[in-house]
Amino acid sequence: MRPDARGPAGRHLLPLLGDIRHVLRMSLADWDETLRLARQARLLGVIAHRIEREPELLAAVPPAVHGHLTSSINFAAHRLQMVRIELADLEAALPAEIDVVLLKGAAYIAQELEFSRGRMPNDVDLLVARRDLDKAESALAAAGWEAETTDAYDQRYYREWSHELPPMRASGHALEVDLHHTIAPVTSRTRADDELLEQGRTALPGSRYCVLAPADQVIHAVIHLFQDSEMSGRLRDLVDIDGLIRLHMRSDDDWRQLRTRAERHRASGLLWFALHYCHQWLGTPWPAVAGRSEPPRPAARYLMDLLMRHACLPRLADGGEPRIRALARGLGQLRYHWLRMPPALLARHLCHKGLARLSLRSSG
Amino acid sequence: MSVLPPSDLPRESLSPDAALRRSGVWIDYGACVVRVRSPMATFAAQVGLLYRNFRLSRGREFADYHVSVDFGRGLRRYLRPTCRFGIDGVEPFEPFPVGNALPMFEWGVNWCFAQRGNQFVLLHAGVLARGGRAVIMAATPGSGKSTLTAAMMLRGYRLLSDEFGVLDPSTGELRPMLKPVALKNRSIDVIRGFSPDAVIGPVFCGTRKGDVAHLAPDAASAAATGRNARPALVIFPRFVAGGRLQLKPQPPEQAFSRLAFNSFNYALLGPVSFHAVADVAATCPAFELSYGSLDEAIHCLDDLLDDARGEADAA
Repeated sequence: MRPDARGPAGRHLLPLLGDIRHVLRMSLADWDETLRLARQARLLGVIAHRIEREPELLAAVPPAVHGHLTSSINFAAHRLQMVRIELADLEAALPAEIDVVLLKGAAYIAQELEFSRGRMPNDVDLLVARRDLDKAESALAAAGWEAETTDAYDQRYYREWSHELPPMRASGHALEVDLHHTIAPVTSRTRADDELLEQGRTALPGSRYCVLAPADQVIHAVIHLFQDSEMSGRLRDLVDIDGLIRLHMRSDDDWRQLRTRAERHRASGLLWFALHYCHQWLGTPWPAVAGRSEPPRPAARYLMDLLMRHACLPRLADGGEPRIRALARGLGQLRYHWLRMPPALLARHLCHKGLARLSLRSSG
Repeated sequence: MSVLPPSDLPRESLSPDAALRRSGVWIDYGACVVRVRSPMATFAAQVGLLYRNFRLSRGREFADYHVSVDFGRGLRRYLRPTCRFGIDGVEPFEPFPVGNALPMFEWGVNWCFAQRGNQFVLLHAGVLARGGRAVIMAATPGSGKSTLTAAMMLRGYRLLSDEFGVLDPSTGELRPMLKPVALKNRSIDVIRGFSPDAVIGPVFCGTRKGDVAHLAPDAASAAATGRNARPALVIFPRFVAGGRLQLKPQPPEQAFSRLAFNSFNYALLGPVSFHAVADVAATCPAFELSYGSLDEAIHCLDDLLDDARGEADAA
């Protein structure tokens, strides 16, 4: 891929995320642009931590940039503390007999994974078995966590067609809690194999929480990016996947297991795309044994390229939003709803939301 | 944060209007450099007046924040014209009436700094200095902090900041964050009458803080945005109409909690801010100052700063 196809992010942000030693090749003017892009993609904390670990690299950063790195390190430390407080409070609230799996940011924090230092989680994602969902929900409700939406339609939407309950928050708590019962929306074409997920999870030493098997952690991050987001500005999800791959995929066996599990979760195509962009943009290893030579159909690849390049990567906002980016963002939204919902359900959902908005407008 | 030594940046004779329209103007506030772009001629003229003593420059290599002040979008533009503040595609506020672009910009820069300046402890305080020794004036809104801050600058103190007391936890020093002082309601006329040297911009009526007008920082303060100051004195001012001057010493633990709980990001910084604020509370004498006359208050502060120096020398 030509570097310019990735826009300004291709100049320094992606090389920096692929190899932090790229710092040595950056001028002050390069930083001016890169700080803006990194902050927009919510990756400045991750970059700052990676630089801070190596004194030689920190010394190469221009003095004017140091404050930004320190600021994001301080902010990320605060978020980390918020997550720890939330996890401790949730631990006290959740019945001991329920197995609770941590997902994504909270899982990386609880496992103290180096690559995720400086991440800024917005919420805490928990996974319980479907059979334990009601029990977990009522325990949280008894301890003060309340759903942010009380709208009957929204409640029903989440319960019947989603993989998680509406976001919950306890008063005085900074973070939302998302209670999942599986890792992919139940109406989507990707269906995670819940039994396989359950068999693979491991308990975290010294904690009431579990995490998914390493390969399932990768697959969940992949599903989250491609199925559970509109992909706009989600470069950090790709950075998570890169970190997990570099950490966990050490042998051909690991890769083969990743492939097999992706097939069982019906996420092979999505995994291919994730590995493709990780490899292209961040230099993530991607051996042949991982199914590199079995790409999805060209039409799908063309569309995905449009979305990833124009919607996923951050751009400078000077001079407004280019049309192609607006188009890609629109496509990302459309795709998001299309994937989650069969067409009839989608039509019903859009109708309801459209009418709700209309009546809101006429009453306001 | 100063990027290039001042000698590399001769003050340019620049028409802010033309520069703002093109690649923008870089404003050095001391603790940060902001690049602002705007197509609005009235806004440009107001920037020209209030930032008259600043080193405004063009085409610098680096800015901490890149912001824009633009006309509102869509048809509304012709019915009830608005303006909007943006930083890297984020618009933190609802649009303002088009005539209030300047106060919107000032609040916008405060917003950027408060959100992103977490390398510093951001006290809610005015900071003024004499000879590198700083008075921190911390108070809740409505206590007359900005009025006293403005008056002190007009009597020869160097102004470092009005809204933010920018404490650098790595050095214990205060960084300048020099901006026009936002005067509210009655204090606009008070400061106008206080000194013929006061350069005050237009009055913006009916903002969310009532009527607001801005006092331009003087040349000496603007020339010193690259220099930090050491905390020497902590004051909690309180204006009492017609009241006598009253000075109440504050024990360090009280000064600590009043400074900490009046800070924008004390809780966020955790141990970093605890140590930085505790150092200030432990080393600086602190007083609550009630005053009815600005000049009386300033004389009192002159004396306190001299006393504080005496104590520091003796120690």
